[in-house]
Amino acid sequence: MEPSNWLWWIPALPLVGALLCGWLHLATLKARARGAEGAGPARWAWPAACATVGLAFAISVAALFALQGLAVEERVLESGAWAWIEGGDFTVDVSLVVDPLSSVMLLVVTGVGFLIHLYAGGYMKGDPGYGKFFAYLNLFVAMMLVLVLSSNLLGLFIGWEGVGLCSYLLIGFWYEKGWPAEAGQKAFVANRVGDACFVIGSFLLVRLFGTLDLSDIGAGVEGLLADSSSSFQLMLAALLLFGGACGKSAQFPLFVWLPDAMAGPTPVSALIHAATMVTSGVYLVVRLNPLFAASPGLLFFIGVVAAATAFIAGTSALAQRDLKAVLAYSTVSQLGYMFLGLAAGAWASAIFHLVTHAFFKALLFLGAGSVIHGMHEEQDMHKMGGLRRHMPRTYVTFLAGAAALSGLPVLSGFFSKDEILAMNFAQGGMYYGLWAVGVVTAAITAFYTWRMVGLVFFGDERFDGSKVHPHESPTIMTAPLAILAVLAIIGGVLGLPPVLPFTHIFEHWLAPVTAPGDAILFHGHRPHLSHGTEWALLALGAAIALYFAHRGFHAYRHGKRHDEVLAAKSPAIYSKLQDAWAIDTTYTFWLLQPLKLVSFVVAVIVDQLAIDGLVNGAASVARAAGRRLRVLTDGGVASYGLWMGAGVTLLAWIWIAGGTA
Amino acid sequence: MTVPNEHLLILAGILFSIGVGGFFLRRNLIVVLMSIELMLNAANLTFIAGSRAHSSSGEPNLEGGLFAIFVILVAAVEAAVGLALVIALYRRKQTVSVADLDELGD
Amino acid sequence: MANLLFYLMAVGAVVASLGVVVSRSPIASILSLLASFFCLATIYLLAGMEFVAAAQILVYGGAVMVLFLFVVMLLNLGAPESAPDAAPRRRWAMPAALATSAALGLSIFVGVLGQDGVQAADAGAGLQEVDTLAGLAELLFGRYLLPFEAGSVLLLAAAVAVIVLAKRQRAAAAGRLHQGESEREAA
Repeated sequence: MEPSNWLWWIPALPLVGALLCGWLHLATLKARARGAEGAGPARWAWPAACATVGLAFAISVAALFALQGLAVEERVLESGAWAWIEGGDFTVDVSLVVDPLSSVMLLVVTGVGFLIHLYAGGYMKGDPGYGKFFAYLNLFVAMMLVLVLSSNLLGLFIGWEGVGLCSYLLIGFWYEKGWPAEAGQKAFVANRVGDACFVIGSFLLVRLFGTLDLSDIGAGVEGLLADSSSSFQLMLAALLLFGGACGKSAQFPLFVWLPDAMAGPTPVSALIHAATMVTSGVYLVVRLNPLFAASPGLLFFIGVVAAATAFIAGTSALAQRDLKAVLAYSTVSQLGYMFLGLAAGAWASAIFHLVTHAFFKALLFLGAGSVIHGMHEEQDMHKMGGLRRHMPRTYVTFLAGAAALSGLPVLSGFFSKDEILAMNFAQGGMYYGLWAVGVVTAAITAFYTWRMVGLVFFGDERFDGSKVHPHESPTIMTAPLAILAVLAIIGGVLGLPPVLPFTHIFEHWLAPVTAPGDAILFHGHRPHLSHGTEWALLALGAAIALYFAHRGFHAYRHGKRHDEVLAAKSPAIYSKLQDAWAIDTTYTFWLLQPLKLVSFVVAVIVDQLAIDGLVNGAASVARAAGRRLRVLTDGGVASYGLWMGAGVTLLAWIWIAGGTA
Repeated sequence: MTVPNEHLLILAGILFSIGVGGFFLRRNLIVVLMSIELMLNAANLTFIAGSRAHSSSGEPNLEGGLFAIFVILVAAVEAAVGLALVIALYRRKQTVSVADLDELGD
Repeated sequence: MANLLFYLMAVGAVVASLGVVVSRSPIASILSLLASFFCLATIYLLAGMEFVAAAQILVYGGAVMVLFLFVVMLLNLGAPESAPDAAPRRRWAMPAALATSAALGLSIFVGVLGQDGVQAADAGAGLQEVDTLAGLAELLFGRYLLPFEAGSVLLLAAAVAVIVLAKRQRAAAAGRLHQGESEREAA
């Protein structure tokens, strides 16, 4: 098959955009230094950035159609490759691959990315770092595309690191305020822990397979299954890669960076921390699904971690006052759902939920941004209320997003979440426990989602009307909201359950990619539920969603009193929830303080006292010795003579004793 | 004279030691120069003793004596130049005490 | 008989040398040194080296010592020193000097001792029998002609050097020199 080198345009366009926006930003800085006012050359950054991502989206659509035109078994587009690392038998190429899975990711990244770029033009208007923002945002899109398109694990890792970098840059975008810089650092460090696992895991894979090419690894898993030591190493590699995924996708215990990441501008939260970067862990697992399928025990472990994550984050979201914090914990919780799907071997379902989540979570974040913008940067929900009258378009679209998130029937979230739960139920045995946690978390999700809606848009206005004038956001911000709302509502059609007489588009589309994993895990017989059970589960899911949404809404539609009631009833639990189960404090106590102590020991005691003491001590010894010896050079002839005499004596005796003639 | 050679050498050693002691311990530059002459004489005696030791009946060894001649020559030259320096020094510093010669150091 | 004379002269040489080093007056030191030279010349005679003995008296006693005396008289250094001259500048100077001198002196003895030599009884026997002067002349103008010539050049150079060094500087130049000295001292 001839190489599809036009694929290179997809990551190249945003990369060029990033460079262009960076250049524009520097030009603006120079202009400002000369005294110019206003946006300067950077005002071209937004159209440039949107154009590049938009074009990338168009090419991704073209790629999709190109794939569709191919026969199912051959649905792979490859670009030309050139050798990057050539170490004897081990080679790493630079090349791009598009298959059904990456086409889905491409569309999500570029599509949702495009909408968010449009929105950001309005949101970031007037910010002095306008050009810089779009440079970073475009760079992020480019890196994410590299991640998704790479044909081998090393290229993927480059994209992996790149999005981590952009995340750091964008979280700390307003670093002058102080805490965003710390949040960016926290994100980077937590990601680093995951990255270390990733790297070690890939070393192991090189050892097992001799290559980092993703398709080669996938194909080679089956051959190693028989040997027990190999299968142990396979599990270890998969576990380490999952560790990497935990860092990026904010699973327990590495999720602590995501709530802090809300310090960044809201479009960043929408794009990076809802729709794309945090999903790269899920993508990684699905991409290497044979590797993970080879260790069913590991899959269950992933499920346990995922369920715990979902539950912890969900309960924490209940007690948050900051609007974006609720959404952050919600994201962590939903990511837990995605991994729960992976745990049950439901690769396509996890991707399905990834896509629907991208729609409605980005929508919710952008809507929240609209609210915050209209409320002049106020983020505390206790100070909002009754905003539906002031921001009707935001309100309506937000409702769509909330409905999808809480899993109200017929919306996209309902189908994707339910499918994951059904898959877990179908596995039986220990997976019933995971299913149960998932159901409870779904209830909590519905509750906190509609709590959020009630607090923000309903009830009395808890802000000072003379000082704060909430207004609707400009069209450039509300239009993407509308588009996303539509997607959030109808997105379910992509994955309708088998009980309905429609094809599950996702499952069908992703089959070539997920087949090897399915073969290893289920040996061709994926556990099925009877139609009756399926209907029952659907009904249960719908009922729970509706009931708890209702309870949540009604508890808060009149105000925040319910929060105070809850806090009064059990203050210990409530504050613990607010702190996300005190995981941060645990980290600080068990990890950071010992680390600071060790650092202190090394820096002060080892470095300053011991090493510096040694070096400086050597210098002062030399100095003191010099001072003592200097008295010899007193210039007196007699003493010089005496010393010379002593030397001659010594030499004479050496000569005599040596017996030389 | 049938004195054993070792005795000559002992005498030379004693004289040399005295000369060295005078060189280190006396402050008067003239006396120091004289101590040097004393040391040179001790060396001369050693040469003579060596000549004596290497001469047997019928085979005299005179080279020790020859070297003694040369030593006397050089010692005379050295004494002359040294004394000239003493004169020049006395002109500068009005002293011949070794203790006052400390400009070599810092 | 000759042996007895040797030991007498040996004692005399040692006493005279001590006199050189210990005397307070430079003139006394010079005269002691002269006495020491005479004792040594006698010993050379006893050993059979007549010419060396003669040279010792002529050159050392007649020229070098006279030179010393001239300088002492010229610069009027003859006054006995009031303060003990051998006061050591540091406490360890005296013991160190003594030790060094003893060690150096011993080295001669030990160093030469290991050489091959004729038996004591036979020592010097050959020297008594021959005409050492003729033999020395043969060596000096034969095999050792070059050192002889070099020695004469050395004498010439020394003569020139002595004249230059001891010359009284002209007043202006001396003044400039002294000026330079005082500038250096001020700096």
